[in-house]
Amino acid sequence: MNFYRRNLGIGALLLLLLALTTASAYVPMGAWNGIANLAIAAAKAGLVAFFFMHLREAAAIVRLAAGVALLMLAIFLTLSSVDYLTRHSTAAPWQNPAVHGR
Amino acid sequence: MPTSYLEEGYTLTSWLTTRDHKRIALLYLVAITAFFFIGGAAATIIRIELSTPAPDVVTPDTYNRLFTAHGVIMVWLFLIPSIPATLGNFLMPMMIGARDLAFPRLNLASWYIYVAGGAMILVALLLGGVDTGWTFYTPYSTLFSNSHVVLSLAGVFIVGFSSILTGLNFIVTVHTLRAPGMTWFRLPLFVWANYATALILVLATPVLAMTLTLVAIERIFHVGIFDPAMGGDPLLFQHFFWFYSHPAVYIMILPAMGVASEIIPCFARKRVFGYRFMAYAILGIAVVGFLVWGHHMFVSGQSVYASLVFSLLSFIVAIPSAIKVFNWTATLYKGSITLSAPMLYALGFVGLFTLGGLTGLYLASLALDVNLTDTYFVVAHFHYIMVGGSVMAYLGGIHFWWPKISGRMYPEVWGRAAAVLIFFGFNLTFFPQYLLGLHGMPRRYASYPDEFTLLNVLSSAGASILAVGYLLPLGYLGWSIFRGERAAPNPWHATGLEWQTASPPVKDNFELTPTVDRGPYDYAPATEEPQ
Amino acid sequence: MNGAGAVSAASLAGRRAALGMWVFLATELMFFGPLFFGYGYGRLAFPDAFAAASRHTEVLLGGINTAVLLVSSALMACAVDALEAGKARASRRLLLATATLGAAFLAIKGIEYAHDIERGLLPGGASPLDSGGRIFFLLYYAMTGVHAVHLLIGVGVALAFGFGGGRVAALSEPGHLRVAGLYWHFVDAIWIFLYPILYLVGRSG
Repeated sequence: MNFYRRNLGIGALLLLLLALTTASAYVPMGAWNGIANLAIAAAKAGLVAFFFMHLREAAAIVRLAAGVALLMLAIFLTLSSVDYLTRHSTAAPWQNPAVHGR
Repeated sequence: MPTSYLEEGYTLTSWLTTRDHKRIALLYLVAITAFFFIGGAAATIIRIELSTPAPDVVTPDTYNRLFTAHGVIMVWLFLIPSIPATLGNFLMPMMIGARDLAFPRLNLASWYIYVAGGAMILVALLLGGVDTGWTFYTPYSTLFSNSHVVLSLAGVFIVGFSSILTGLNFIVTVHTLRAPGMTWFRLPLFVWANYATALILVLATPVLAMTLTLVAIERIFHVGIFDPAMGGDPLLFQHFFWFYSHPAVYIMILPAMGVASEIIPCFARKRVFGYRFMAYAILGIAVVGFLVWGHHMFVSGQSVYASLVFSLLSFIVAIPSAIKVFNWTATLYKGSITLSAPMLYALGFVGLFTLGGLTGLYLASLALDVNLTDTYFVVAHFHYIMVGGSVMAYLGGIHFWWPKISGRMYPEVWGRAAAVLIFFGFNLTFFPQYLLGLHGMPRRYASYPDEFTLLNVLSSAGASILAVGYLLPLGYLGWSIFRGERAAPNPWHATGLEWQTASPPVKDNFELTPTVDRGPYDYAPATEEPQ
Repeated sequence: MNGAGAVSAASLAGRRAALGMWVFLATELMFFGPLFFGYGYGRLAFPDAFAAASRHTEVLLGGINTAVLLVSSALMACAVDALEAGKARASRRLLLATATLGAAFLAIKGIEYAHDIERGLLPGGASPLDSGGRIFFLLYYAMTGVHAVHLLIGVGVALAFGFGGGRVAALSEPGHLRVAGLYWHFVDAIWIFLYPILYLVGRSG
């Protein structure tokens, strides 16, 4: 019965975070909205991983596998961004202005 | 005498429903060999076309389909599975003292998935092929190509899953099935190499799968993120594609390095120099190999700052490779060397890999790359590594472990002759291509200016020698299965658990699970000689 | 592995299966990678269009769906723990409840898709959206679509264990259910990220 309390407790916490992220989306915080949402999502995913997926008590190799996967995704997103964040794009005269972005 | 794995059932069904990693390895061997020769046939026609300046053998459109077929087949249907799925499948469990891989049925499923994907690619070929190049660059592949793009993409997607599952199997196997006493730093470098390869397979290939899916969606539904007219960016495709395809080349070379690290100590009768550094270098190549993909995009419109970062990282990735070359060389020093066929292949591998690797540094330099990109310099560079490197190591490994796999010895004279012929033919084919690239001949062109004729003729001549060289092993290895001298369990007096089994091994590899109490490459000093 | 002699064969096999599933989940994470990056690209290139397009999504249905999936994850965790505690019947009931919630998610998603199509929120064709909006919705359909396919597989697996447990040996093993649970939680974790990036952009604008 212990595990019911634990799992449903984590579930309740997750629902709370869901409410928080949804509500905060309606509060004008500019760029912080996005950051807050991602941080809350990370917290929720962390709860799912550590408790539901038993990452807390898993063998070192399993935790390493999870860590490496996240790291690899991070590398992919970050290093690709190096290109996009350092480009100077200018629209050609014939391009649709709405299309050229920054 | 206990039955060998080859004698456990002679029916086709027993082979097609096997869970034995050794039989699955042979299933792969047959399929891979077939694809190698199909890809080679495409290359033959290409070299025939390129022996004259004019596009007079095939139309330029057909030429495009030929080099695409050559690339797609050789990369995905031959090189990527080659060593891992044949030698890796066969040897990994034995080298760690296990009966089989962690998931034997998944292993068989991998093979079926590979065959299904390969069949799909062949069907696309028979229907007329695809003309985008193996790199499927947008917007040509999404908007303009009138060839069987989606079918080819589907085939590659499916083959990708085969490699993901093989990688998964290897990772779990090495972590969970090592025999008692087999610590990480007692593992043969072949195991380290295939383990690192498995990491790349597992982490990079899924990105390719999604990328190809997005190309298919864009092509079919005319929506997408790669078309500038719709607000997309073609470079997005290139980032996604090369994020996989650069690590893919390490998938192709790391197992080859593993093979070299097994052959060289044996035929120098000396343990590997700097074993730990060799293992760390393998991991280093795998890790840093994920960070350099932008060097394929220096002239694509990528930002200069990103190009700088990728250029620097590309120089860094050369370091662990160089460490390995130094260590192989140092292993030879004061060794007692026998120039057997496997050793000839392994030495050829080290030399040609070094040449190919050094030219990679030229290409990693931004300023040089502006001139060299999309020329034959690049073609020569990657063929030196993939053919002079990987294929030679693959053949070396096939010869080295042939007694174990088949229970027969191949004829040594023919083995050495083929190795020398291949080495000679390879250099004649591809060295002129460096010069052609420096002089500015672009790649993927069916015709060229007259002044490039001599070098192209030399290259095509080399290709004909290379072709003979590749056909020879097909002949004498096939012959040896029926008429070759029966092999002893350890004809080369090599170390390694796989040599403690019968030749060929019984189904479960070992009578009793071995216990390991020493490191690998425990070669005695030069008093003991191999046959 | 540093196996001391007393560890049972079943538990070693269980550990192998768990590691295998984690490695597989790593591949799945990388599979979603390009979609996440494409989203990042779009958000960077078309910040206003993305915000506007996100406002077209039905946050109520999306929010309910997120809650449904979170609860289903809690129930799946209970199902796994129950089976490991020997309570097979309770486990099967929890699995069927999990599957039901998963199916509910898919039904609600289907309704959402129907509404989206009705309102012409398509990445191509005669869509009222601008370029940025079209890219947003391409990614919306792609990400939620791929997610839905994975969820459908998860529902199938949960039903298999829910009905087959106690009858089929492979579906009665706690180790196997634990591995299936890992997959379910992963699918939930992906949605945890999809929800804010697709539904909650520009809501305060």
